[in-house]
Amino acid sequence: MRLCAQVALTAAACAATVVLGSAPVGAQPEEVPGVSSERVLFGQSAAFSGPAAELGRGMRLGIEAAFKEANDSGGVHGRRLELVTVDDGYEPEEAIENTRRLIEEDAVFALVGGVGTPTSRSAVPVARDAGVPYVAPFTGAGFLRDEPHVINLRASYAQETEEMVERLTKDLGITRIAVVIQNDSFGRAGLAGVRAAFDKRGMEAVSIGVYPRNTTAVKTALVDIEVGQPEAVIMVGAYQPVASLIAWARHIGLDPVFMTLSFVGSNALAEELGPAGAGVYVTQVVPFPTAGSPRIAAAYRRALRAHSAGAEPGFVSFEGYLAGRLVVEALERCGPEIDRDRFVQALRDAGYIDLDGFRLAFGEQDNQGSDAVFLTVIDEQGRYRPATRLGARAKQ
Amino acid sequence: MIAWFSRLAEGRFRIATQLYVGIGGAAVLTLAASLVALFAFAQVGDSQSRVNEGTVPELAAAFGVARGSGTLVAAGPRLTASATQGELDRAAVEIAPARRAFEDELELLMSQEAGGDDSLRDETRFVSIQARGGELIGNIGAIQQSVSEGFELGNASEALRLELSLLRDEIAALLVPALDNQLFYAMTGYRSFREPPAPRDVHFSEPEIDRYRVLVGLQQDITIVDQLLASLAVLADRAKIEPVEEQYESAATSIERALSAVDETETSDRLKELFGQMLARSRAAFDLRREEVGVMDRQQELLLENQDLALGLGQDVKDLVEDSRSRAGVATLASSQAISTGRALLLALNIVSIAGAVFIAWLFVGRLLVRRFQALSSSMREMADGNLEAEIGIGGNDEVADMAAALEVFRRHALEVQRLNLVEKLADELKEKNNELEVVLADLQKAQDQIVMREKLAALGELTAGVAHEIKNPLNFVKNFSEVSAELLEEVEEIMKENEDGSLTEDQREEIAEIFADLSGNLKLILGHGERANRIVTDMLKMGRGAAQRELADINRLVDEHVALAYHSARATDASFNVTIEKDYDPDLGNLEVVSQDVGRVFLNLVSNACYATDERRRSADESYEPTLTVTTRKMDDGVEVRIRDNGSGIPPDVVDKIFNPFFTTKPTDQGTGLGLALSADIVREHGGTIRVFTEPGEFTEMIVELSAAPPDFDGLLP
Repeated sequence: MRLCAQVALTAAACAATVVLGSAPVGAQPEEVPGVSSERVLFGQSAAFSGPAAELGRGMRLGIEAAFKEANDSGGVHGRRLELVTVDDGYEPEEAIENTRRLIEEDAVFALVGGVGTPTSRSAVPVARDAGVPYVAPFTGAGFLRDEPHVINLRASYAQETEEMVERLTKDLGITRIAVVIQNDSFGRAGLAGVRAAFDKRGMEAVSIGVYPRNTTAVKTALVDIEVGQPEAVIMVGAYQPVASLIAWARHIGLDPVFMTLSFVGSNALAEELGPAGAGVYVTQVVPFPTAGSPRIAAAYRRALRAHSAGAEPGFVSFEGYLAGRLVVEALERCGPEIDRDRFVQALRDAGYIDLDGFRLAFGEQDNQGSDAVFLTVIDEQGRYRPATRLGARAKQ
Repeated sequence: MIAWFSRLAEGRFRIATQLYVGIGGAAVLTLAASLVALFAFAQVGDSQSRVNEGTVPELAAAFGVARGSGTLVAAGPRLTASATQGELDRAAVEIAPARRAFEDELELLMSQEAGGDDSLRDETRFVSIQARGGELIGNIGAIQQSVSEGFELGNASEALRLELSLLRDEIAALLVPALDNQLFYAMTGYRSFREPPAPRDVHFSEPEIDRYRVLVGLQQDITIVDQLLASLAVLADRAKIEPVEEQYESAATSIERALSAVDETETSDRLKELFGQMLARSRAAFDLRREEVGVMDRQQELLLENQDLALGLGQDVKDLVEDSRSRAGVATLASSQAISTGRALLLALNIVSIAGAVFIAWLFVGRLLVRRFQALSSSMREMADGNLEAEIGIGGNDEVADMAAALEVFRRHALEVQRLNLVEKLADELKEKNNELEVVLADLQKAQDQIVMREKLAALGELTAGVAHEIKNPLNFVKNFSEVSAELLEEVEEIMKENEDGSLTEDQREEIAEIFADLSGNLKLILGHGERANRIVTDMLKMGRGAAQRELADINRLVDEHVALAYHSARATDASFNVTIEKDYDPDLGNLEVVSQDVGRVFLNLVSNACYATDERRRSADESYEPTLTVTTRKMDDGVEVRIRDNGSGIPPDVVDKIFNPFFTTKPTDQGTGLGLALSADIVREHGGTIRVFTEPGEFTEMIVELSAAPPDFDGLLP
């Protein structure tokens, strides 16, 4: 009853405002959650523990660096950007709970930088029901490309796997390719991408290995793919099991070309692998973070240094930084009066967005900004290099 | 009655008394109606209370029991549907009032039964209701307890499930890598990065593969146990638990056998321990589930029992209600009879009361007071509007009548005063008018004097020409004779000078004597004409002086003189004027004592008019017309008659009556005053005569003046 009264009152107030047509310009309507005249609050539910913890931490670092950069220059239209983060441990149930809490209790304006396919798959419906934008999740899963209130920054898994298969077949002439996947929706998404690329070329996987999610029990998968005697292995999994698989494969003398998706968490993978990582290819959806071009890389490193002096540049935090920059760009385009619909629409209406040389394109039917896939390789020192050997380049 | 009223009407009653009597009468009627109503209501109440005290509470209690049993039966599933102890407690609290109400209703019904005076009631029905009610309440309690037990069991099994889940995760965390490692070892011979690989005949051997198989079997059995436990949680039929438990036992046996085959390692010890715990807890889960199902079955039984009880109770209550209703019907009939009797009585009394009130209103207020007040008021208003004539006819013998009488007195006084005022006012007005008239009269008199004087002067002026002629004639004679006389004297002188010695011859003497005779004749003629002129002037002076003196006058001479005067006046005014005057004077006419100036004026006037008339006719007539004026005098027995007739234009008939009116004239404005004939008539009348007119328009006019020989005494016509 009281709620009804409040709704009625609010409606009446709204009607009055509309009728009077004199809503004060300075006063941002309070009904846009997370937005006040001083700040805009964003929420991030991601893995800060468990095997994908590095991904969550990297994304948070990048977003915070971008936010700090914007805030240090006076915020966006006078508003500071703030980020509240919660740990879902890469578990879908937790992701649902976290998303609900961020929306209802913390009253965030939008969600940004979620990590993982199964977690996103769980969180997106909650955000959709609440009408909350879901920005730049750290996943390339296809289903996110069909959600109207989701803003994707990066290329899809299908684009990554397509690039892998293209490079393997074109540059190296490899035809015997095995696939190792994690036994969950991420793994299946990756497998679907690979299969699409294979189908295009009339190929089939020589063998497929599957390992249980959130474990490092990959040896069975190793045994399984070994049977196919693959020249290359495309891996779709978290960095620990992937590293374990590569290590054991190398240990038992199996030495195909290993390729893995960006999701693996490149720095974490390199660390985990140590010297055994040399020659492992990782597709990336962001430019090389230490490169001189595009300009965005330098901007990222500057922001990262300003935010956290000791932090090493990496692909994940770079993606986080780009996510933060995308948010800033969208808010800039909204103007001083923002709401969630305008936020999403601002990007969709934008056409091309140039983030210091990193080009994004959205449209009415296109919620994915970048189609670029970059191939990198781990060198003897466990460091990433752009994979020039395979002729890695941006697809577009 | 009518006599009584008329006596009443004749008596003296103050208004207050009348009102008190009227209102008191109404009050008495109302009181009577109220008493009857009270009596009727008492009757109704009596009947109603019989219904209320007897049947209604019993019916109410019976309905209450039926309703309460329904509520309680509905409460059973509500209790069993509770998902938590908290919900159960809340449901129990919510049901408690219904339960208490049911108990109260039951008790009330029983007490009705105990206190009832109707021996026809079915005692066994009450006993049955009591028994079933008690059982229902007991069952509700049992259900509540059973549900509570069910929760305890449920909590215990939930805790057990959680433990089992944790155990399973722990087992999986050990078993999955173990399986992975065992397969890898069997296939590759690698156990770790540090050790070199085992020879193929060692790792790819029967025992290693068996180990792998055992682990796989364990995993399968665990999955089976998992599924069995999951299916157990939804089993509600006790009988179906047994086969599930049977399957579980076989899986457990399989697990135990597999565990005994696993090598003694740290991992396997832990695994065995975990499996042992899991199996023990699984068995406990089965026991718990059995108990839970038992509790649920018991609840279901109790619910069914409750439904039966409620049905039985319902039937009992229905019978009871039927019973009570038939008795209530009898009581209600009595009650409604009492109500209708009371209603009829009340209606009658109301009619009487209203009629009485209307009569009182009509009689006392309407007829005796209001109407008379209205009459009084309208009388007063009429008086205020000035109508004092209407009488105030208000009868009766009270203050109103007094007021009416007082008003009547006032009215009469007012009327009298009004009349007096009117008379006084009229007298004043009359006086004023008189004064005005006097003033007007004086003015008129003054005006008349002036007019008469003016008329006299006008007549004088008119006469002057005639007078001048009259005087001129004798004066000519005087002049001529004087000139002749002077010539004669010169002849004498010459004759006397003819002889130088101054002697006269006879002839001369004779001649002189002859001349002297002529001279003497001339002188006599001169004297005669001088006297005549003198007389004319004297007459005229007399006339101008206006002296009203009667004297004997020769009427013929008077007429002749004024005819001549008028003729000459007319001739003097207009040289072309001429008229033949025929005179026929009666020589025996003699003298009359008259004011000769006045009478002469009458003749002058009449002749002047006649001359005017002929002249007027002459102007429009042809050459053959001969204006003729005939003047005739006749001696009458007692006076004279003078007729002056002319053959002039005559007088039109519409004018003839007005000719004697003062100021009436047909002459042009500057020629007549309109007073001539009026004055002439007055003069003639003063001399005791009459003046008449005969006329034919275009032919003639004859004025006849008769003068009396013995005129009345008078002091003259006018001052």
